[in-house]
Amino acid sequence: MAYDWIFSALGMSEACKQDSGPLMSLSALRQEEPSLWDLPFPSLDTLNAACAAVPRTRDFTAALQDGFLYIRPALRSVLDPLTQPLSWMLDGALTLFVEMPWWILVPLLILASKLLSNSYKVASIVAVSFLFLLFVDYYEYAIQTLSIIFVCTVLCVAFGVPLGIAMSRSDRFQNAMIPILDMLQTLPTFVYLIPLIFLFNITEPKLYGLAIILYAIVPVVRLTNLGIRLVDRDVMEAVTAFGLTDRQKLYRVQIPLALPNIMAGVNQTIMMSLAMVVIASLVSAPGLGTLVLDGINNLRLGVGFLAGFGIVLIAIMLDRVSKAALARIDKSNKT
Amino acid sequence: MALGDVKISVQNLFKIYGPNPQAVQDQVFDGIDKTAFMQETGHVLALNNINVDMREGQITVVMGLSGSGKSTLIRHLNRLIEPTSGHVFLDGEDVLAMDEAALRDLRRRAMSMVFQKFALLPHRTVLANTILAPEARGENVKEAEEEARKWLDRVGLEGMEDSYPSQLSGGMQQRVGLARALTSNADVMLMDEAFSALDPLIRTSMQDLLLELQRDLHKTIIFITHDLDEALKLADHLVVLKDGYIVQQGDPQEILLRPAARYIEEFIQDINRARVLKVKSIMAPAKSKRGCIDVVSGHETLEAVINAHQGRVDGVFAVSDPDDPAKIIGKVKMEDIYRALVRPQMQHD
Repeated sequence: MAYDWIFSALGMSEACKQDSGPLMSLSALRQEEPSLWDLPFPSLDTLNAACAAVPRTRDFTAALQDGFLYIRPALRSVLDPLTQPLSWMLDGALTLFVEMPWWILVPLLILASKLLSNSYKVASIVAVSFLFLLFVDYYEYAIQTLSIIFVCTVLCVAFGVPLGIAMSRSDRFQNAMIPILDMLQTLPTFVYLIPLIFLFNITEPKLYGLAIILYAIVPVVRLTNLGIRLVDRDVMEAVTAFGLTDRQKLYRVQIPLALPNIMAGVNQTIMMSLAMVVIASLVSAPGLGTLVLDGINNLRLGVGFLAGFGIVLIAIMLDRVSKAALARIDKSNKT
Repeated sequence: MALGDVKISVQNLFKIYGPNPQAVQDQVFDGIDKTAFMQETGHVLALNNINVDMREGQITVVMGLSGSGKSTLIRHLNRLIEPTSGHVFLDGEDVLAMDEAALRDLRRRAMSMVFQKFALLPHRTVLANTILAPEARGENVKEAEEEARKWLDRVGLEGMEDSYPSQLSGGMQQRVGLARALTSNADVMLMDEAFSALDPLIRTSMQDLLLELQRDLHKTIIFITHDLDEALKLADHLVVLKDGYIVQQGDPQEILLRPAARYIEEFIQDINRARVLKVKSIMAPAKSKRGCIDVVSGHETLEAVINAHQGRVDGVFAVSDPDDPAKIIGKVKMEDIYRALVRPQMQHD
């Protein structure tokens, strides 16, 4: 074999042989000296062929799983009660908004979008979108999707803004957080679901809730940190010179001045929640995503397309309303 | 506390920036070259043995070029910057020994500050900016706003209360900065290059405004500037700073007449002495106006006297007390006036 010489040179041939299993004898059957052209990379599997004591890659992944399963009960006993309120909130919001008659909820949402954006154009986009969703009978799915996004966004802001503030106050904490945020942002969305499936019951709402929050919280944390760090140093020096306490500085100066950036982060967070809530239909998140999933699983092209269009409508509504709200804050900050 | 008493006393103040300031402080001595110190120790010597007494009701001007440490010095007075060693006494109490709460109280009540770049809160109206100090003290907002309106009117911003800073010109923004400092009602006002960012004409009108306010208020003002004309116009006590040490300090007229160092002499080269020097500074003491052709106030500049007598080159003038025109305090000859216009020559090596 290609790398036998390493182990013989190290005088470990004996140690290797002790462990030789049936696979070793299999590879011994086709023992030819490989040419340089065919030289394999000394990967775990190749080295295992030379020395059975080296684990194979599949042994390694199995060990990862075993390790995770080993700490699972401990992790569960901590995380399960801690995240239980998330399930309640999601269940509560879903029940509340789905049970509410459409002729109350839809006008309320249109009114809310008008108040937030202060724009008739945005409010009419919301109105037309809901009328369409009602007309094609996807209204209930859309409301489920919106309820989940609503709960997750509120929680992202509730945890993300304080995290961002803490990051802005300590360079050390910032340096520790940035790799974590980078990882959360770059992990493929499906990968979030794997450890969560192991940890929680697949029927529990907190499973998809956590996946959405972990994915969507990143921008609001980042932009809160950035916004507070961008507050003019001269202004901060002035309020220090007039004897404001740290708390007064935070609430009366830093947060108001960082608000445009924080709101930009909230807009991003909302859009990312929407992206994740569709994928989370794989782990029983209700809403338009289940229709898309149905379209894929059962090759129902029309259902998939129409649900996809519904998601686009929701995306447009959320984006327009949050952007218009952001523009209003921006304006009042500048003039 | 009476006017003229020492309000703030800075004693043996050192500030060294670098990895280990305490260790290299022994290598500092008077007049040490900043660049050499940097090369030898890798530390920046920002303030070198500063001793200044700032008196109640006076304007103490600290003048120096950029890098002389003047902005660092003013930030030691309310401890926006911590010194390497030394003392700052306010009314006899050591500012550097204060804990956080006492220091905050000092910043809220005893000292206010005006900044070069105005440093107004952009998200607040002029009125809401002005009440910053009473707000920090937790006082009633309505009363604070009433007080703030009074000061805004006084600095010429009536009717602007509801504007935002970005809607105002630089000069008006600094008027807000001034009103904010006045609304704090502190005895001491720290002014860090407060007028340096303004156009020359607006700067002059702001200087006049400050002098006019000072005539009524008698605050203890510490004013930082790099502009000698401004320094001479405002100063009761002038401190000239170079590379972190004090080259000369005293009555500005005195510094003009008797510069103590080559550096000062170079600095005052381009000054219009006739417009800055006052009759009082060059007179000989006397009690009666016998033999004098006219009486001039001690507060008059030499230029004013020369102009009033249209270039006349002889004669003797009686000098009257600036505060009491009937009282004669000295005499001055016209030729002395012309002689004072000649720049003093130093023995150069």
